[in-house]
Amino acid sequence: MNCSFSEKISSLIDGELAAAEAREVERHLLTCAECELVRADFLSLRSQIAGFETSLQPAIQNRELQKILSRGEPVPVRGLRWGWATPAIAFATLLVFVAIGFVLYQRSSNTDPEKLVVQVPSPTPSPTIEKRDEPVPEESPKEPKTPERAPSTPSAPKKPLVREPRPGEQFAINNEPPLVTDPAPSTAPERVRSADTQTLTAIHFEKSETLLVAFRNVRLNTREAAGEVAHERKRAQQLVMQNMILRRAADANGDVQTSSLLENLEPILLDIANLPDKPDSNAVRTIRERVERKNIVPLLQVNSAALARALDD
Amino acid sequence: MASEDDEFTMLFQDFYPSLCRFLECLLGGRAPLAQDLAQESFLQLHRTAWGTLPPGEARFWLYRVARNLAINEFRKSHTRYRLFDRVVEAMRPAARNPEQEYETRERKTLVLEMLQALPEDQRTALLLREQEQLSYREIGEVMKVSESKVKVDIFRARASLRQRWSKRAKTAGASAG
Repeated sequence: MNCSFSEKISSLIDGELAAAEAREVERHLLTCAECELVRADFLSLRSQIAGFETSLQPAIQNRELQKILSRGEPVPVRGLRWGWATPAIAFATLLVFVAIGFVLYQRSSNTDPEKLVVQVPSPTPSPTIEKRDEPVPEESPKEPKTPERAPSTPSAPKKPLVREPRPGEQFAINNEPPLVTDPAPSTAPERVRSADTQTLTAIHFEKSETLLVAFRNVRLNTREAAGEVAHERKRAQQLVMQNMILRRAADANGDVQTSSLLENLEPILLDIANLPDKPDSNAVRTIRERVERKNIVPLLQVNSAALARALDD
Repeated sequence: MASEDDEFTMLFQDFYPSLCRFLECLLGGRAPLAQDLAQESFLQLHRTAWGTLPPGEARFWLYRVARNLAINEFRKSHTRYRLFDRVVEAMRPAARNPEQEYETRERKTLVLEMLQALPEDQRTALLLREQEQLSYREIGEVMKVSESKVKVDIFRARASLRQRWSKRAKTAGASAG
């Protein structure tokens, strides 16, 4: 397509040229075989694309319409069929998250002594092996349910070096190439658990994103506003607890980015969850403005996509 | 209320199939997902914007929301629905005329393959023009871009498709010869 009229041919077949310009291009087409060929090809492409037939079946179309119109209860989002079991599933999900959170918390507190030992600036592997072996069998059976006391249990000479270990440091140390001689049994389950948390976080991000987008689109200038917000409020109530648990897990794993995003998300979810039955338009608008100001929705999209990619890999 | 529902039903009947087709082409032929997203777009319209939009705006609103949902899908895991789509495809009843069905499917696959090679904004602009016959101004309204960008996007999409088409024809001719 070397002729300078090529672009105008595209506009011509779309009827987007002014009358004078269209006449000029038409005149050119009478003399330029290349442009005439371009027009014929463009029109052929048009017929191919316009002739594309959808796979939609009429029965499905009517069913979808009925679903949307008979909206006593929210129509499920993309294939998830909740129905009557919503409260039961929500409760079960909550239990699962609480259990995961508890296990993560307990595990991180039980492993504190060994991390403190690793923080001691001694690069040689032999002392760490010795010190590792000592506290683990002693501490874990005795005080499995008192995580706060775990950091204070190491022996006296190490106390001056002890400070509250930050989760990021723990994670980094755990993931370093192991100094100890038997790393195989401990590394495999670590990876599995990390992937599970990633999956849960990605799902949580997607759900939160859907909620915030829906909340952004809620109508405010009608009497139905309260009813519409009630659905978002319910979703937010379900997501708040998950958010807290995942934030804690991200903290424990040293995933600063995820933790920070969840931290920003949490007050917004709480605000939506705590909206009254008939919320004031200003309250809804304020929350929306905060969502916009903090740029939460794009961040959720980017992070959930990144997590999904990581899981795919 | 009843009249509102009637209006909505009319809009749904008029545009649901074309919205499905638009999404199916945009998503590379993933029909079940396209139908889900079309449903979700109408659901959002019914729940949030219906009654507040100026007359005639609902169509553009729908295409804008549908496109955003499709873009979200691109960003999300692509593998999630693939298996489901295959299952649905496998469960589809057999065609009455297998030859005709084969031809149609081949043609669809070809169009989808060519469209998938385009950048998303060019693909959207071209689909809205060729399938929905929207003007450049209307396409700009759906995509929130200027008319001149729409014009350039559509021209580039056509030029690119034409080039691919002729390459393909040459390859086919060479292999036949």
